[in-house]
Amino acid sequence: MASFHHPSELNPLQRYSQACAILRSTSRASNEAWYKEALDLDFQLHLRADGVEVLCSAYNRKTGQWTKGPALDDDTLRSTDKSISYAAEIIAFAQKNGATSVGVILHVADEFATTELKPEFNNPGALNDLRAAAETDPGSILDDSSIPQDQNTWRVLPYPAAGSEAIATTITLTRSYAPFMDQLRLAGENANYPIITQALSAPLVTLLAIPRTVQPTEGRSFMTVFQYAMFTVLAFFNEHGDLRLIRTLQHRGARRPSNLRHAASTTTAALEFVDPDIILFPLASQADPGLAADLRVVFPSSRVQEVDWSATVFSADGLPAHAPESMVVTLPPDSSEQTTSLSHTFSVFQSERWAIQNFLSTPKEVSEIYPTRGEMKILRAIRLIRIGIAACAVLALAWALFGIIDIIRKPEWTFDPTEAKAVQQRLGGLNSQNQKVEHWDNLLEDRSKAWASMELLSRLFPDRGGVMVKNFVHTVKPDVVPGQAKVGFVKEWKISGFAREEAVDRLNSISTREGVSSAFSEIARITGNPAFSTDSFPRSLISNVRMQENPGFKPRPADEVQDDDPLTYPIVFDLTITQRFEAADPLAVNVSKAP
Amino acid sequence: MYPRLPNSPNCTVLYRQSIALFGILLPAVAAVALVGGVYMWKNSVTASFTEKQKHFKTFETNRVNALGIEARVNRKKQFMDQWKAQLAEETKSAVSANLRKIQESLPNKEFQSTAFDPINTPGGFGSVSAQRSAQIRLGFRGTYRTMQRAFLALETQMPQLQLQELKIDPSSNQSSLLNFDVTYTAWEN
Repeated sequence: MASFHHPSELNPLQRYSQACAILRSTSRASNEAWYKEALDLDFQLHLRADGVEVLCSAYNRKTGQWTKGPALDDDTLRSTDKSISYAAEIIAFAQKNGATSVGVILHVADEFATTELKPEFNNPGALNDLRAAAETDPGSILDDSSIPQDQNTWRVLPYPAAGSEAIATTITLTRSYAPFMDQLRLAGENANYPIITQALSAPLVTLLAIPRTVQPTEGRSFMTVFQYAMFTVLAFFNEHGDLRLIRTLQHRGARRPSNLRHAASTTTAALEFVDPDIILFPLASQADPGLAADLRVVFPSSRVQEVDWSATVFSADGLPAHAPESMVVTLPPDSSEQTTSLSHTFSVFQSERWAIQNFLSTPKEVSEIYPTRGEMKILRAIRLIRIGIAACAVLALAWALFGIIDIIRKPEWTFDPTEAKAVQQRLGGLNSQNQKVEHWDNLLEDRSKAWASMELLSRLFPDRGGVMVKNFVHTVKPDVVPGQAKVGFVKEWKISGFAREEAVDRLNSISTREGVSSAFSEIARITGNPAFSTDSFPRSLISNVRMQENPGFKPRPADEVQDDDPLTYPIVFDLTITQRFEAADPLAVNVSKAP
Repeated sequence: MYPRLPNSPNCTVLYRQSIALFGILLPAVAAVALVGGVYMWKNSVTASFTEKQKHFKTFETNRVNALGIEARVNRKKQFMDQWKAQLAEETKSAVSANLRKIQESLPNKEFQSTAFDPINTPGGFGSVSAQRSAQIRLGFRGTYRTMQRAFLALETQMPQLQLQELKIDPSSNQSSLLNFDVTYTAWEN
């Protein structure tokens, strides 16, 4: 088992490392017993030392059964070496009983002393501070400064009765069993098996038994006499059942204190108790049987009662009748009205645990070595959180890697930018060539051809169609619009001649938009010349025919009429066709020079 | 069982800050840094890839365009070569040579050249284009169909000839023949 250091001796990183080491090497995270009190554990070992004998009883809280525990003697309690081997016995015993932890409760019944508080602390509101100070700095609150603090331990016990001269006293025990308890804890830590210890003052525990053991006379004060083997404790309760004073009388080798009657009588007188009930609690294997009779002498008018433990709820199989403390602390508090209404004292002693204070609690500098239960839970949770974080990180990494692999596998990734430059240059060269091609394509377009216009004329006026053409003029003129990359042009056909009656319909037809468009379309189809196309592009096409009587016309018989004789035609006509090509027309002429 | 008191001596928390720092904060920071680093790395690679993709896309577009243009240029190459050769010739001599060839294939009575008048100043389309050009005015006497065939042959052989004006009148001497007066703009290289 690694040795751990107090965290105050470590830097933050070492603290964290130590906490992790504790998490790994101990069961503190998984076994909650490490952070419970001995009385809260399911398997408990109750030790009782009264100076004459040492009892050891095992208690299984789940079954409520008491059994005999590993044998123990006074030497073992006071010997470090023996306590180590006894600790091993305890662990083996607990494990044999199927327990995952063991609480060792030592009932100290061989000593009991009181030490008064300094008078300046006689303030009921400061009880909790006094309770803490009794553990951490007892010298600051004790009236008797001569008691060595390193050899004793103190716990405050309040006097809840109204009108008490003091608000509390302190119960003093020596630290003679501290090495034994420390060895048990250490052995548990070394074995990674929780041994939780608690040292109780047996008389204080017995105080808790009073409400469920006796029924004092209504409205009368009472005195309890705890007859231990080595001392007797007198506790004085007022008529309301509240504790006013507790004091102890040492036996000094006898079976009872020599001054018991005197002490009892003077104290009750001082407390102004009139004929108080006297209740005897035999708590030694051989308690003085004549004590009741003795006290009756001093308190002739009082009710003197001796408790028969076997008739109370605190007797159990496997437990000696004179050692009820184990039962008192393990039996659940009685919530019935009869007991809880007995007095303020007992309810406070129960609820605030005044009677079961641990006199040999784990030193703070030892308990602080280990992380708290909350910290252990956090540490345990952190492992899961870290796994989650690591998983997230791995997933993120995997996501990125897969994404990158996916990217790298694409042809774009291995693409050499110099290829782009080469293609760019090649494209530039080709574009230049293409521009030349397009330029010459444009300039060499069939936009105005003489043979096509002659075909138009022959198709407009076919032979023997009743028309004789006298003049034909066709001109092509560019339509200059400054600033344009291309210029449109205007084509004009002027045809004049003679016509007979049968050609009038034809001339009229040509003069309409539909008629001339139809004629142009036919030319475009026959010649393949796009300039005559009227469908592909919006081109303005206007036709105008002017007809009038031929002044030289001389009617002749049909057999004398000749086609080439203008005087045989009754009509003269002038036909003008104008076709306009806009700059947006594909046949428009490039203004620029060849690139 | 008796209740626990709140001020148990085991309530000190000497490890909490260290646990919070080294157990939670630093791993979380490390994880965030790792994830952030990975994210930035991926972003960097993605940005680089996007850039390459852009170049690649441009390259692909250019390559496809180049192929298309190249095919078009190749298709036109023989024409271009022919055009270049033709355009390199002087218009006057080219027209003259072509007319002679045409004349040889046509009946003499139906196709007679009456005028050949090269004009050095640009006109017609040549006056609006920066491309070098010349004008030439030709005169013929002939029958309609023969002259049409002659024009078809001439304009097919010399696509650089753009008709500027065409006049057809009946011949005063021979009724079967017509006078043709034609003016061309000829593109030159």
